[in-house]
Amino acid sequence: MLDNDFIYLDYAAATPVDSRVFEAMKPYFSENFFNPSAPYLPAKHVRRIYEDYKNELAHTIGAKGNDLVITAGATESINLAFTVLKNFENANCIISKIEHASVREAAKNLCKDVREIGVDKNGLIDLKALKNSIDDNTILISVALANNELGTIEPLSEIAEIIRAVRMDRLSRNDETPLYLHSDASQAMSLIDIFVSRLGVDMLTINSAKVYGPKGIGALYVGHGIKLSPITFGGGQESGLRSGTENVASLVGFATAAKIAKEHVNGNRKKYEKLSKLFRETLVKNLDGVIEPKFLGNQKKQLANFAPVCFDGLDAERLIFKLEDEKIYVSTGAACAASKGEKSHVLTAVGLTDSEIAGSLRISMGKTNDEEQVKTAAEKMAEIVKKELERIHG
Amino acid sequence: MAKTVFVGMSGGVDSSVSAVLLKEQGYHVVGVYMKNWSKDLPGMKCPWAEDLADAKRVATKLDIDFEIFDFETEYKQRVVDYMLDEFKKGNTPNPDIMCNQEIKFKLFYDISREKGADYIATGHYANSKDGKLLKAKDDNKDQTYFLYRISKDSIAHTIFPIGDMLKPDVKKLAAEKGLDNAYKKESMGVCFVGDVGMKDFLKEYLNTTEDKEKYLKPGQIIDRETKEVVGFHDGAIFYTIGQRHGLNVGGGLPYYVVGKEMEKNIVYVSKNLNDDNLWTKTLELKDVILRETPTENMVVDVRLRHRAKLEKAVLKNVAGDFEKGIATAVLEFENEIKRTASGQSAVIYVDDVCLGGGILK
Repeated sequence: MLDNDFIYLDYAAATPVDSRVFEAMKPYFSENFFNPSAPYLPAKHVRRIYEDYKNELAHTIGAKGNDLVITAGATESINLAFTVLKNFENANCIISKIEHASVREAAKNLCKDVREIGVDKNGLIDLKALKNSIDDNTILISVALANNELGTIEPLSEIAEIIRAVRMDRLSRNDETPLYLHSDASQAMSLIDIFVSRLGVDMLTINSAKVYGPKGIGALYVGHGIKLSPITFGGGQESGLRSGTENVASLVGFATAAKIAKEHVNGNRKKYEKLSKLFRETLVKNLDGVIEPKFLGNQKKQLANFAPVCFDGLDAERLIFKLEDEKIYVSTGAACAASKGEKSHVLTAVGLTDSEIAGSLRISMGKTNDEEQVKTAAEKMAEIVKKELERIHG
Repeated sequence: MAKTVFVGMSGGVDSSVSAVLLKEQGYHVVGVYMKNWSKDLPGMKCPWAEDLADAKRVATKLDIDFEIFDFETEYKQRVVDYMLDEFKKGNTPNPDIMCNQEIKFKLFYDISREKGADYIATGHYANSKDGKLLKAKDDNKDQTYFLYRISKDSIAHTIFPIGDMLKPDVKKLAAEKGLDNAYKKESMGVCFVGDVGMKDFLKEYLNTTEDKEKYLKPGQIIDRETKEVVGFHDGAIFYTIGQRHGLNVGGGLPYYVVGKEMEKNIVYVSKNLNDDNLWTKTLELKDVILRETPTENMVVDVRLRHRAKLEKAVLKNVAGDFEKGIATAVLEFENEIKRTASGQSAVIYVDDVCLGGGILK
């Protein structure tokens, strides 16, 4: 797919469009360009294709086309999910302390009472605290399926279990106030086989850009009976929730990418487990014990393609620039947070010291990576780390 | 043992190349990003975080240490507050000149020296030799206009690595060294410099009810010759003597701002390019700084704007402590010059030496 002379290890930030996806999209730019809402036959044909692909996309998460609202990406989907709060007075919502900025900001702007739940040193949410912070005005709980900095996979079905109990309790008291579970599954889709019913979520955000599909398109799965408010006003597309002419080419791309991802979920996991192990071992070996790299998260509960690593006392940004010179591209934390020069709230929440946070890199692998690339990257990284240590300590 | 140089790195091409040159010359180089301003203004994203990353990237590639000096508080106190005060008085201050005097060649200089620097360096187009500030080789880029108020002591310990280079050569060298900064859009220094930025800046900072009522209100534009009201403005504070644009007065010859009455919030304009208020042969200066003792009635060259051509003048009546920058003086010009707004600077040269200058009363 990628015929490049660089080694890309930041798949959590962006993925290249799969050539099969690109091929599938092509006819919908200049040939079948019609507006799906137009009255003539070729347009109706495009409408049918749109609905077909929407169904196919829905099927990849065990849902129906009608359950999906197509949006311009995960941020929009998340914002849409949080509009559920608008229907309730005094509503509060619960999120984890390590949610992506799109969740944190949507919550902050659409809810007066946001309750943040802490996580353990591996980024796993404190279920007990979560349970205790629910009261009769809690309407929405939003926890990512997998964290975007650590790759930590959260126990969603256990959260769903807690929610079910709360619902039962409310009903037993004739209280019909709903309690919904939303999850941002952007990072997880190519490594976890997702079924909305199995996860127990009421709403789920999925994102094309992280599964080798085009950027600028995402979807929100919305369970039956959940009332949301529009995020754009206009021609009434997407059940009136997200007006604007349908982005047919991108949806075709997204659906195609999601299908490919689903087919390869198990193979992917095995591949990345192996690569991750190789990366970690090569790095440790080549560091000759001059520094002990701290791998963040618990691999058993982490997306297999993640290998976040911390070099306490070093400056991760310098390592990035040095690696960049070797055409190896890695990142610190979330790209959006990094560009603002802010300290990662995720790494803070898992209890890292400021110096550890400053020395943390996010390594996330993907399709183009093979053993040779991963090994080279680990060797170069070790070399650079050793040089930086020499510069500091003379 | 190699001498230590702390080089101010803004992320731009000039300071990046300066760091490269110092390293090649064998100095022990420490890169410093001065964080002076990080606030976004309406419709204007302050690029400080990107600039910082650009600077750090260069430092990393050069294998030099890199530090951030956070001067936001001091910058606010010494540059921003000064600017607001001056604008309120109806003057047109220059933030870069104040920033160089107070931040780059005072704070940055002092802290760097404390931390063991033998020299500081910046990416300004200027030269220093034997404690004297000299014009840059690149006439078109010479930045001594902005540096005229810096102290003798700091000049004696400052290296301007690109002072003998032409801008195109600086860019070329950056490209050769593989520095991405070679292709970076020229920055204007602080975010709010430039006409539009200054207006947004003032609107944002004149935020007390009192200031708003006093300065951010509509007023009359009066033609000085006909005494007629020819239009309205949104605050006299936004206007500068000599300014031609943005008067919302349509048709015919352009109007120029020839005066302001801050108390009455009136802006005076004229179509007469020969209006007395636009031209003069004499300028009275305050806050005069001179790094050498002037002779009586000394013939000097004067620059009234960055990149403006030099004007011949006689420097007279220097009174007060010019070493401290608190003297007064008078400049008598050979030819009539276009008057610049009060608060702007007149910078004095003898040959290639920038002697100092003063602020227009």
